[in-house]
Amino acid sequence: MDDAQLTRRKLLQRTGMGVGGIALAWMLQQEQAHAKPKGIADKPHNDLLPRAPHFAPKAKAMISLFQHGGPSHVDLTDPKPELTRLSGSDYTGDVHFSFVNEASKKLLGSPWKFQPRGNCGTEISELLPHTADIADDLCLIRSMHTGANGHEVSIRYFHGGIPGVLGRPTLGSWLVYALGNESQNLPAYMVLTDPGGLPVDGVTNWSNGFMSAMFQGTVLRPREPRILNLQPPTHLSGMVQKQNLALLEKLNAKYMEAHPGEAELEARIASYELAARMQTAAAEALDISKESAATLAMYGIDRNETREYGTRCLLARRLVERGVRFVQLFHNGQPWDNHSSIRDGLPAICRKTDQPAAALVKDLKQRGMLDSTLVHWGGEIGRLPVTQEHGSPEKAGRDHNGQGFSIWLAGGGVKPGIAFGKTDEVGHKAVEDIVTPNDFQATVMHLFGLKFEDLQFSVNGRQEIITAKRPAKVVDGILA
Amino acid sequence: MKRLDLAVVSGLAAILSVATISTAICLGAEPATATPPKFETHIRPIFREYCFDCHGAAAKLEANLDLRLVHFLEKGGDSGPAIVRGDAAHSHLIELVASGDMPPGEARVPAEKVEVLKAWIAAGAPTLRPEPESIGPGVPISDEDRSYWAYQPIQSPGIPAPTSEEPGADRDRTPIDTLLRRAMPKGLSFAPDADRLTLIKRAHFDLIGLPPDDQTVARWMNDPNDGWFDAMIDSLLESPHYGERWARHWLDVAGYADSEGQTIADADRPWAWKYRDYVIRAFNQDKPFDRFITEQLAGDELAGPQNGDWTAEQIELLTATGFLRMAADGTGSGDNSPDARNKVIADTLKIVGNSLMAASLNCAQCHDHRYDPISQIDYTAIRSVFEPAFDWQQWRQPGQRLVSLYTTADRAEAERIEKEAQAIAAEKNTKQAEYMKQALDKELMKYEEPLRAELRTAYETPDKDRSEAQKELLKKNPSVNISPGVLYQYLPAAAEELKKFDARIEETRKKKPVEEFLSVVNEVPDKAPVAKLFHRGDHQQPQQDVVPAGLTVAAPEGKRPELPVDDPNLPTSGRRLAFAKWLTAADNPLTARALVNRVWLHHFGKGIVATPGDFGRLGSTPTHPELLDWLSAEFIRNGWSLKGLHRVIMKSTAWRQSALNHPAAQQLDPDNYYYSRRGLLRLEAEIIRDRMLAAAGGLSNESFGPPAAIKEDDAGQVIVDGMQTRRSLYVRVKRTQPVAMLQSFDAPVMDINCEARSSSTVATQSLMLLNGEFTVSVAEKMAERAVREAIAPDAAWIAQMPKLPSAPASAWTFGSGRFDEATQRVVDFAPLAHWTGSQWQGGPNVPSERTGWALLHAAGGHPGNPQFATVRRWIVPQAGKLHIEGELIHHSENGDGVRARVVSDRQGVFAEGRAKNGKQNVACDAKEVVEGEVIDLMVDCIEHETSDSFTWPVKIRLTKPDGNTYETDSTSAFHGPLNASENLPGQIQRAWQLALCRPATLEESKAALQFAAEQLDELRRNPQNVAKGNTPERQVLNNVCQMLMNCNEFLYVD
Repeated sequence: MDDAQLTRRKLLQRTGMGVGGIALAWMLQQEQAHAKPKGIADKPHNDLLPRAPHFAPKAKAMISLFQHGGPSHVDLTDPKPELTRLSGSDYTGDVHFSFVNEASKKLLGSPWKFQPRGNCGTEISELLPHTADIADDLCLIRSMHTGANGHEVSIRYFHGGIPGVLGRPTLGSWLVYALGNESQNLPAYMVLTDPGGLPVDGVTNWSNGFMSAMFQGTVLRPREPRILNLQPPTHLSGMVQKQNLALLEKLNAKYMEAHPGEAELEARIASYELAARMQTAAAEALDISKESAATLAMYGIDRNETREYGTRCLLARRLVERGVRFVQLFHNGQPWDNHSSIRDGLPAICRKTDQPAAALVKDLKQRGMLDSTLVHWGGEIGRLPVTQEHGSPEKAGRDHNGQGFSIWLAGGGVKPGIAFGKTDEVGHKAVEDIVTPNDFQATVMHLFGLKFEDLQFSVNGRQEIITAKRPAKVVDGILA
Repeated sequence: MKRLDLAVVSGLAAILSVATISTAICLGAEPATATPPKFETHIRPIFREYCFDCHGAAAKLEANLDLRLVHFLEKGGDSGPAIVRGDAAHSHLIELVASGDMPPGEARVPAEKVEVLKAWIAAGAPTLRPEPESIGPGVPISDEDRSYWAYQPIQSPGIPAPTSEEPGADRDRTPIDTLLRRAMPKGLSFAPDADRLTLIKRAHFDLIGLPPDDQTVARWMNDPNDGWFDAMIDSLLESPHYGERWARHWLDVAGYADSEGQTIADADRPWAWKYRDYVIRAFNQDKPFDRFITEQLAGDELAGPQNGDWTAEQIELLTATGFLRMAADGTGSGDNSPDARNKVIADTLKIVGNSLMAASLNCAQCHDHRYDPISQIDYTAIRSVFEPAFDWQQWRQPGQRLVSLYTTADRAEAERIEKEAQAIAAEKNTKQAEYMKQALDKELMKYEEPLRAELRTAYETPDKDRSEAQKELLKKNPSVNISPGVLYQYLPAAAEELKKFDARIEETRKKKPVEEFLSVVNEVPDKAPVAKLFHRGDHQQPQQDVVPAGLTVAAPEGKRPELPVDDPNLPTSGRRLAFAKWLTAADNPLTARALVNRVWLHHFGKGIVATPGDFGRLGSTPTHPELLDWLSAEFIRNGWSLKGLHRVIMKSTAWRQSALNHPAAQQLDPDNYYYSRRGLLRLEAEIIRDRMLAAAGGLSNESFGPPAAIKEDDAGQVIVDGMQTRRSLYVRVKRTQPVAMLQSFDAPVMDINCEARSSSTVATQSLMLLNGEFTVSVAEKMAERAVREAIAPDAAWIAQMPKLPSAPASAWTFGSGRFDEATQRVVDFAPLAHWTGSQWQGGPNVPSERTGWALLHAAGGHPGNPQFATVRRWIVPQAGKLHIEGELIHHSENGDGVRARVVSDRQGVFAEGRAKNGKQNVACDAKEVVEGEVIDLMVDCIEHETSDSFTWPVKIRLTKPDGNTYETDSTSAFHGPLNASENLPGQIQRAWQLALCRPATLEESKAALQFAAEQLDELRRNPQNVAKGNTPERQVLNNVCQMLMNCNEFLYVD
């Protein structure tokens, strides 16, 4: 191992959290002229150098719109005429409840109407008119199954690969580990949280687990300024800052001379250079003022109800456009957790998210980015076909259901305009083409050109993979 | 909803494996090698991880299958034999695990472990040693478990004295060096000793977390004695800042916070700082660490019951138990559910396990530890130790755990003062009644009799006795309904007088002695709740009683370190006291190692064991086991003295060597595994902030007490409120509002506790130090100090330096003068003598002795008396036609206003105007002027110089004969002294010393002055880049200071 390599390796190990990843990306970009992208079959690495996947990928980036709480598939994406017919009668099968004290076996037909959409005819509820507009682009999976009803159990299953278990790298971490960073100026894995607060499970939703912190999601602040201290006070900007940084560089160069081979010092020097570049690059990426009025209106940024989520969806597109690999949006708390008053609660969260989510797909398509960008919309569970009693029909809601629910994907190499898999006649359990979060992970990897079983990370001598060696398969039926 | 969901999770997680151990290492997964796997070493760990919960750990065996012994496996359970020796294919066990039928739930035995099982069965299912016929209940602790390094008794290794033949032995100062050196590969050696200045700085940051000041550096640099180094260490250990520095390390692992956490409210924890102060004192006193531990775990038991007033000693002991009150506890602020209460207990046990035992106790909360020989019974036994203080069924919320520090005398005094207050209140009531009556009388005069009498009767009849007619009457005449609340509308003066009573009552009550509290852990007398093992960690599934005990594996074989359930000699149960004794006993293998490792970690940036909170199998193994033991033994031998331990460590060559990366080290020891150099350490978050404040000269010396407030700035960034300059240790730690600057540099955000900090290098840190308001403002302060303390450079040095550009001659001068009515000219002009950084005035203070209130700033100023009108003097640079215009504004309602004149020395008054509490445009146009003509913008006070602040921004346009115009204005052209750059070199030199504790080298000085020359030039051309009120020279100095605080030499310690 020569000195230069050593330095780089150590630098990479030490360069820590979040945005720091970019420092590496930056440094590595400097080396790219004479370093060909490596295959990931190489020995374990700790860097963000762009790498070629195992085989030709369909997707190069992913935007995940995570819908915390368990969107009610029987009211949104999975029409159940039988449930409507039986509404009010007792369900004869077994139900797995979370809230036993409020358990009921009384079936609750959806109060909302479904109809076939687009050319494909996929039925989608009236609650999602905008999503219905993009039906022909959607790959709707109606047979998701986590087997567990709890939020955290299933959330951790989706992110980390094992139900209920924290401390594992998340999907974004694995993708960035495998494929590195394409951007010179932005982190490869970015998270857009809700101004209302963090989702359930907090920052562990974008944890790097046992991987180096450089594979952790970098959080953009949910409101302006989205990155703190990004701009200098005006009197310290421009030429003055350049001069200041030049002085700093001299001071650091002297110190470096006295400490040859100290990777951490090099990393810090790089982090200043990067910080200077970020001032313009990140500011530019996060500035939506030059987007057209039509684009802003498409995302609903012109309306109070959709402005916030729409802005984040638009930012997600801008980030991916600039080379960010994985962007994930979260809600605060669990807006889809409609245990009670589902008749009010569900339309409310639909009104907030439906238009922006659909706009993202439309926008990506218009820009020719949808083919290489995988969009994911979905929560960790769905909801039961039976009612959760609260004494009166207006207060009725639905309890958790990890046995069967829906998510949708678009772009990035999935079949458009299909509805895949089935739940039983009332929508409780997935019964056909069952897809688990592990299958979902394996399939996402596949779309990125990765063999999920071969993408290994060594932890204290143990080889880890995203699915934790649990049963997992690539879902061929949804591949374009 | 959230809470119940978690209950579901805990059930499931119990089946799957506990969340926190998800990054598990598979110990049984070593590939089958030439020697076949053995039951004890390879198979049992797999069973422990996946099977024992149902097949061995509990009395009830699922399917009657017991996997604890191989012959039990052969015998099998309800489904027949589990294994067939030599025939994996026909072994039912393999079938079940390979198919995923076992274990139940979502967990799966990974394929490579199944392979190990197969290989083992194929080899005939060998054991290392013969098995007994039967065993007692539970999974026994095997010889393999017992022989694990962390459970071995601490034994000081015999260290053969170094001989002269050993290469490098001459560098050995202490046994630490001998042990480290002997572990080095051939060709490797320690780096040369660090130079004296480096050692001085290093020792300061290690021990007190502050840079040495000039005198201190000089003192130790010039100390001619051989013993200078030891003397310096001694003096640092005596510093009160030592306790502050090392308390912070302990507070990390104890999980210190000034808020309760756990719920969204994140309520304040108002008395936590008392414990923080206790820790600081304990470190400063070098309280023997075994005693320190005992006090923290059982201070209340040592203190005994209150007998009269708490004694100072009792207070100290009770304060110590704050350690057990560090876990997040939202039971008083939003969630007092059984789950929340049990979480507080579980978190407390985690902290105890991490900090004092380096054990992941918490992994045995729901079932036997999957990797370490810690059973769930062991866990519950330790929980049982704390049960009398933390009874989840008879829970005490944080507010109920406070102990008042009021003395009998305080209480009596408070009562006395309360009586005083009551007396005033009574006085007020009497007075009020009088006024009410007066008001009523007056109001009733508006009515004629007999209505007047009727109204009076109705009013004076108590509400409940009033007749319907009376009520109706009062309703009809609302103005008679006089109450104390509306009295002010009838008798305004009376109401004002009554208010004075309230103020007096408040004043009086303020005189009560302040009541302070301690947040303590103690026991409810005569209650000894029984700890029950919780099946799968679920408190709703209590099982057998478990009595207090220490960890079984840490006791000699066959012995369980049981602790008394109730010590008859103590009024308390004595459980925690006994537990503390067990922890600090000389034969306890865990505690001393855990502590010594932490101290080493803070001196070298890495532990001998890299995972200071977990010495178990999920943690790391010691890089230098003998060293760890030698230090631990030495620590115990020295009476658990931490200061003694610092001396031992810091005297070693290992610590005193240079941090520089020498060639052999780079080659043979790139990761510094062998300590072939000191390693460069980045300062911790708090120390970076402290160092910045210290360099600026503003670091407060105030110790102890309530924390410094924090707030969110406009951007939502949490900052220290105002210019509070206390050490970062004293800044409020609110779990949900970490101070951005500290968090950015890896200060822990306390969820539970922080076992070890990371040290990240990210661009957001750079952005914070480059652009953040805090750094910019501290740099200004530091520059101010450098100006005050500038060094007078010698001529020879100056001669070698790049020349600073001389200030451009200014057309402007700022002074005072008098208007001579006779000649209509300005006379007695003299520049104002003192520059404050933003304005010119007569002296350091206004009014100054001579020029009175006269002062000038960029926008305007204030005239002195008529002798000292303010004058902004401008010299015409070229002949032409002059146009002058500006709006004179006088703000005050008071005084007689001000008068502005534009006066030429050749032609007299061009324009004149007055303003009083208003505006007046003062202008002249097309005045022919010649080069060198003096134009004075004069403002005088008319007659009285009070209330004469004015603004008068003046625009000047000169139309030259060729038609081109020259423009200037009084605001942007305003400037401070122009010759200040002469002082800049000496100021920069001083800045260097302040930031880096050393003078700048010649080369550095040249670079800095080159920078200064270029930036001065830039700033003079673009004055908008000079912060308001600064001169270009001062802005350059600010920037130098800020870059010094950004540089690596500032952020790292050699």
